[in-house]
Amino acid sequence: MADHSPEENRLALKVVFYGPALSGKTTNLMQLHSLLNPQRKGELMVLETRDDRTLFFDMLPIGLKGDSGLDLRLKLYTVPGQVQHDSTRKAVLSRADAVVFVADSQAGQQDNNATAFGNLEENLDKVGLDIDSLPMAVQFNKRDLPGVVGDAELQQRWAGTPWAPLQMASALHGKGVIDTFRVLLDRLYTEVDREFALHTDHGIDRDTFIRQLSAASEENRA
Amino acid sequence: MRNFEDDPTLEDLLTSDQLKRLNRMLSALCREPVEISGNRDSGAVALEFNLETVGWLSGGSSGQERLAAADLVSFLMMFIAKYRLAANLHHDTTEASYAELQKQNEALKASEARYRALSSQLQDKVDEQVAVIKQAQMDLYESARLRSVGQLAAGVAHEINNPIGFMSSNLKVAGEYVSDLRQMVPDTDQNRELLDDFADLIGESSDGASRIASIVSDLKTFSSIDQADYTLCDVNELLSSAVHLLQTEYGQDLDILEKPGELPKISGHPSRLSQTFYNLLDNAAQALRAGEQGTQGGRILAKTSVDSDGVRVVIQDNGCGIAEDIREQVFDAFFTSRPVGAGTGLGLTVARDTVRAHRGTIQIDSREGKGTRVTLSLPVR
Repeated sequence: MADHSPEENRLALKVVFYGPALSGKTTNLMQLHSLLNPQRKGELMVLETRDDRTLFFDMLPIGLKGDSGLDLRLKLYTVPGQVQHDSTRKAVLSRADAVVFVADSQAGQQDNNATAFGNLEENLDKVGLDIDSLPMAVQFNKRDLPGVVGDAELQQRWAGTPWAPLQMASALHGKGVIDTFRVLLDRLYTEVDREFALHTDHGIDRDTFIRQLSAASEENRA
Repeated sequence: MRNFEDDPTLEDLLTSDQLKRLNRMLSALCREPVEISGNRDSGAVALEFNLETVGWLSGGSSGQERLAAADLVSFLMMFIAKYRLAANLHHDTTEASYAELQKQNEALKASEARYRALSSQLQDKVDEQVAVIKQAQMDLYESARLRSVGQLAAGVAHEINNPIGFMSSNLKVAGEYVSDLRQMVPDTDQNRELLDDFADLIGESSDGASRIASIVSDLKTFSSIDQADYTLCDVNELLSSAVHLLQTEYGQDLDILEKPGELPKISGHPSRLSQTFYNLLDNAAQALRAGEQGTQGGRILAKTSVDSDGVRVVIQDNGCGIAEDIREQVFDAFFTSRPVGAGTGLGLTVARDTVRAHRGTIQIDSREGKGTRVTLSLPVR
């Protein structure tokens, strides 16, 4: 549910990092905060945590200006992964424009991934969104850990879904985080451009959208 | 309603008192007083929070001082906003949870009402079944009572049969003796009167004895004492003998019209069929007697025919008919509309049981004051 106000020429989009508890959603966001150097970047707001677990949510605003003066903002949210925070998850998920599903690669966590994915589908339905039409990227995190399910097996398992190919990441080491984010931006652009004519009305083409919003700090310096 | 994620304004983050205090504290740190407001003055520095300009800072001794103060404010804003966001989210989720709870409560109430309705229906159903059971119990009790009455009647009939037999025959002989006496004693008025009275007494007693005998015979049939084997019966013959028996009982002035049809013989119980025909004819005769014109002008029709259902026997009279309010009860055992002692209340009961035993049907059509028609249908096989 993009928040568009034509009089202020502003467009705010919401991206939610969803997934089972301790799969690395906040880590993804923290890495994006330190690795990204988009046109505009706000402060990473990490709300209350207890023992490194998110209680409310984290939020990172980034943005870019179009040729038309369009003030485009992207707010990146994480949800608390623990089961008991379902109503918070639902509140954060409402009016989302895109979702990054952060799964845990460890073999023992596959059931939790499935439960969280089911919960995502259910909550999207409750807030009036359809998982099949919502731009989404699926990331399997913690590839650096021993005993993870193999790449090939995971890719094969998800091959028949709209979210293939999967993104492999090791968020703690900053690997695959930006790649995942770019895949998401690509899928998000299709939807947003269709609705708000980013290219024709505001001079923001797909490449600009992805590059400006996901410019890496070192790339920028180069 | 604002969403928790809407960008906060300056007023959302700070109350006017807090804003004044912040201005004072910042002014104390700077060389010249500074002021934060929602209006952009010339030279003012934007106060940014999350890419959003929430206010403007003006005053101070230099641009550098203003920038430093604005940085400090932005830094503070983040913590205030964090708290706001968390509080708003908490509020939103609490409200959503409450709404959901209320919805669940409504659903629970509805389901409770449904169960309540169900339980009251259940009570009705239980009451209904209890009534059925009570009725069944009553019927059972009634039939047991009738059975025991029947057994008693059979016993009594058997015991009475012998004494009534010798009483009848003795009375007959006594009557002959009275005739003999009449020739022996001197023919005086006094003797003649005495002997006439004597003869009447014996005659009445004899009538009484034969009535007792007929009741006993009804009772015996009713309680099926003499169970004989089924044989091939000629219904016309049985009906005709019953007619003759009745005419002997009532005298020749009883007008009975017989219309026998060509009938096949049926398998049946001759004495019970005879008894049935007799009972029905007797009822017809009684009806004539009770009717307005008495037996004069009264007429009984006894007709037989054959159709696809088997043998049909119609016994029709133009007597008093059966009152509507008792029509339901005519087949009940011991029900009688006749004066006490005049009927056993078993005639139609015996007739019905006999017809049923022959797998036939009995039907009564009657109009009060006009007459009654009883139709028996007896299957040939």
